[in-house]
Amino acid sequence: MIRFLRRIWRAAPVATVILALALAASVFFGAKVISRAIYWNDPAHQEQAIEPWMTPGYVAQSWRVPRETVGDALDAFGARPARPMNFDRIAEESGIPVADLIAATEAAIAAFRATEGAE
Amino acid sequence: MSDLVLSLVTGFGAYVIFASAFLSCLALPIPTSLMMLSGGAFVATGDLSLWTVVLAAYAGAVLGDQTGYVLARWGGAPLLAHLARAPARRAALDRARALVERRGAVGVFFSTWLLAPLGPWVNFVAGATGFSWARFALWDILGEVIWVTTYVGLGYAFSSSIGTVADVMGNIVGLLVAVTVAIAMGLWIRTILRQQRRARAP
Repeated sequence: MIRFLRRIWRAAPVATVILALALAASVFFGAKVISRAIYWNDPAHQEQAIEPWMTPGYVAQSWRVPRETVGDALDAFGARPARPMNFDRIAEESGIPVADLIAATEAAIAAFRATEGAE
Repeated sequence: MSDLVLSLVTGFGAYVIFASAFLSCLALPIPTSLMMLSGGAFVATGDLSLWTVVLAAYAGAVLGDQTGYVLARWGGAPLLAHLARAPARRAALDRARALVERRGAVGVFFSTWLLAPLGPWVNFVAGATGFSWARFALWDILGEVIWVTTYVGLGYAFSSSIGTVADVMGNIVGLLVAVTVAIAMGLWIRTILRQQRRARAP
């Protein structure tokens, strides 16, 4: 094994270095593929918290609630957007802090789920 | 990082997708795969239209590849001609050219989608070594169809978990690239060892 390594090192040093790096990278990415597969299989890691980059439509899809639920929550501030835009932009155009909009949306989703569960 | 990408996409839509696809084909480190995934996701949520996302990503990618090829042809070919004045280098360059001529089509095709991180470099090599433009364009245009369709489609299908998909795909593509480079180096070393054995034989 070591003799073989020495032989290819002497014959093609550049290719040997790149080969070693590529093999190391293969092990690295292989380990990551496996560890991330385990991580994402845990249901606790699947719900996406609402973030400023999300649009109301995206939030509705991600949390499996009707669009109206999110739209109504924003309507309470008079901040329902006329065209698709993200929460950051909605906050900017309505002058309401993005954290308030997100908190109201989260509350609306929780309320929707509570009534849905009761039915 | 990915939050910034996503807020750019929801903020500026298809323009961002076009620009990032274009620039990443010129070897700028931009997470275009994530952009395309999110583009697909925002089609699913009704925030962007399918045709603008697909057209922006596709036009950006193909124009980016063509630009890389043309730049390398203008800038790289004279540089190689200069380098080739030394006879030893000339022989190595001739071998490299022959390899590109033989396997270039396969290289261009797979480097546009399956091994996307290698794409820009393959474009530069193809341009600098004088690989035929028509063949380059053909395989590039075909390959980018697969790249764009795959990522926009995955984003659409898994729209509520694109963070997860981007993470998983990133690692799988990284693994594929690393294994491909390792195999290429193995073949290169084997060729050199064979040549040495042949040179030593009487």
